[in-house]
Amino acid sequence: MKLEFSAADEAFRSDLIAFIEAHCPRAAYATGDFIGTDISDATGVIAIPEWARAWQAALFDHGWMIPGYPPTCGGRNATPTQTLIHLEELARRGIPRSVHFVGYAIAGPSLLEFGSESQRALAPAAIRGDTVWCAGMSEPGAGSDLAGLSTRALDCGDHFRVDGQKVWTSYAMLASKCLCYVRTDPAAPKHKGISALIIDMDSPGIEVRPLRHVTGQAEFAEVYFDDVRVPRENLVGRLNDGWRITLGALAHERGGLWVEGVAGCQRAIDDIVALVGRSGRSRDPVIRRRVAEFHAEVRGLRALGYKGFASFAQGSSAPEHSFMKLASSELHRQLIEFAMDLQGGALAVTDPAVAESAGRWQSSFYTGLAATIGGGTSEIQRNVIAQRVLGLPRSQ
Amino acid sequence: MDFALNDEQRMLRDTARDLFTRECPIDFVRRAWADPACGVSLWERHLSSWLELAASDLVDVVLFLEQHGRAVAPGPFFASLLAAQLATAAGLEVRGSASVAVAGPDGLWSPHDDAIKQFVASAADVEDILIVGGSSRAPHLARVKRDEVVLTRVEQMDELRPQYRVDTRGVARGEALDPRAWRHAVERALVGCSAELIGVGRWLLDGSVAYAKERVQFDRPIGSFQGLQWMLVDAALDLERAAAAVAYAAMCVDADDPDRHRAVHGAKALAGLAARRCARTGMQVHGGIGYTWEHGLHYWLRRAYAGDAFMGPAAHHHDQLAELLFVGA
Repeated sequence: MKLEFSAADEAFRSDLIAFIEAHCPRAAYATGDFIGTDISDATGVIAIPEWARAWQAALFDHGWMIPGYPPTCGGRNATPTQTLIHLEELARRGIPRSVHFVGYAIAGPSLLEFGSESQRALAPAAIRGDTVWCAGMSEPGAGSDLAGLSTRALDCGDHFRVDGQKVWTSYAMLASKCLCYVRTDPAAPKHKGISALIIDMDSPGIEVRPLRHVTGQAEFAEVYFDDVRVPRENLVGRLNDGWRITLGALAHERGGLWVEGVAGCQRAIDDIVALVGRSGRSRDPVIRRRVAEFHAEVRGLRALGYKGFASFAQGSSAPEHSFMKLASSELHRQLIEFAMDLQGGALAVTDPAVAESAGRWQSSFYTGLAATIGGGTSEIQRNVIAQRVLGLPRSQ
Repeated sequence: MDFALNDEQRMLRDTARDLFTRECPIDFVRRAWADPACGVSLWERHLSSWLELAASDLVDVVLFLEQHGRAVAPGPFFASLLAAQLATAAGLEVRGSASVAVAGPDGLWSPHDDAIKQFVASAADVEDILIVGGSSRAPHLARVKRDEVVLTRVEQMDELRPQYRVDTRGVARGEALDPRAWRHAVERALVGCSAELIGVGRWLLDGSVAYAKERVQFDRPIGSFQGLQWMLVDAALDLERAAAAVAYAAMCVDADDPDRHRAVHGAKALAGLAARRCARTGMQVHGGIGYTWEHGLHYWLRRAYAGDAFMGPAAHHHDQLAELLFVGA
């Protein structure tokens, strides 16, 4: 165990910081929650701002988008440790790589890992952000139980015909392509009858209805498929082998997926220390003690992420990582609520003109509600940890 | 920052684990509760040579004390190691078993000139007492033989490691001690306590998970019930997070990193709370059997609570951390 990084890794960090200082637009700093963008029209439908397109392309072109990838895919063949440094330096500054995560985080890596040669050729544009992707996963009847999805793809030889509905589909109204999970064998056990298809969003029979969420924005949508024709060459991987793909994305960053969650908690506790100071209550013994307790929890969580990363980088499984999504999303929610409580009777005020920090705590509160649901609810995380990490028997 | 153990560190951990598995099984612990001579014999026969850890990296101390806590080992080794770290920091030769006498009625290691020192661990079973007086800014240190002071046993939860009130009247004032050396010794001691608490929590959690897989009620293992699974997951999360924080604090102290003061207080608070949570959860998971004296879970529960209190409970370390966060406020 040692605290310092190698000289090569520190040089990597310096290069990255120099790149950020030279290229990162001011608007990218502290976009903050890494979910969507603040820019939306009157109905709440989000848009991808021009600075975000330019920034993502610059990251790709200079090999800083996914450093573990080769230069053709937006990287520089970086080591796992360097990938972690990259994620942490960006997250520490609140800088997102992209305001739409599906292309670079799900579709691109999945195509590179599981796709045919022509499908792999779609990955660079997905990672660079030139093509906006959505992922057709959740359905009205398949949320936590994703493998219970029922959108049907009928095998017609040279093409499939798709019928069904997806929901909570991020960026569907902006996307030109969808990596869509469909049931191709209704008779098989549920995990074994799923396939992955690339579906062009301008195909006849697709209807996208933007779905506003609690914040008032519409970042995701309902997507309806009515007899949509999908060419057979758009099948990703083998038929009925799609479940593996849902688990497989982003191998290069799997060791560092916790970084943004911890960085969000770190920014929140730093802001809380400042807020307590500003509001003149830094001598209040109860508040001081609670802030310190939160601080210790955040720092402990960061250490746990690094500890898991050490196992990951050595090629072993990292049980620590199973805890990170659960712990960081739950802790973040507690931090936000604590900051709102510090505002006393004004905790529910959102008017930017008068609210503390222009109402940023209240909007973070809403996005925090999503963090303990999306990507596997806290309850599902606990079940998974109980069974896979602690080895307890399946509950009935 | 790299948490991976190197070969020597891995070997140290495995050697310690084997040593305690062999020499300090639960039957030995049961005997030691009734007979303090067991703890002394463990020290004399197997642990005294490990005092050299006092001069090692703190990371090594953490690896060893985690296993010590896992075995809820009795006897004067723990107190002696903390004392040896103080002796080393003060530039004194490490002689043998010893204990630090510094705390007042609040249990904190804040030097003061009251001749009565409290919460002195294992004092009756050590050769030397290291008396620290003065103040944090101007501490002084006197090393005396045990029979130069008067001991009064103060009954507490963890009688595997008894604590004493030590009357130091009549002992001459000690030599001036560099306050930085004192601070360094205190930080090493705090991280050492934290590491022991992680080991205590580890035994409680592992034992509770194993029991939940075995114990059948309503025709199925109780570990298949979601309510019980989630209790164990939450305890495991607290423990893993605390363990990482303790390892981080040790690395910070070894590297003299500016973050070390915050890291040390955070680690002690997290470790104390995590061990207590594992103890409560473990007791609940074991149900009636865990509540019996015979089962022995109570030895670890006692060490968890006494260990959290030793050198100040979590709330104290939160307050110390707050002093660092709200500096100048």
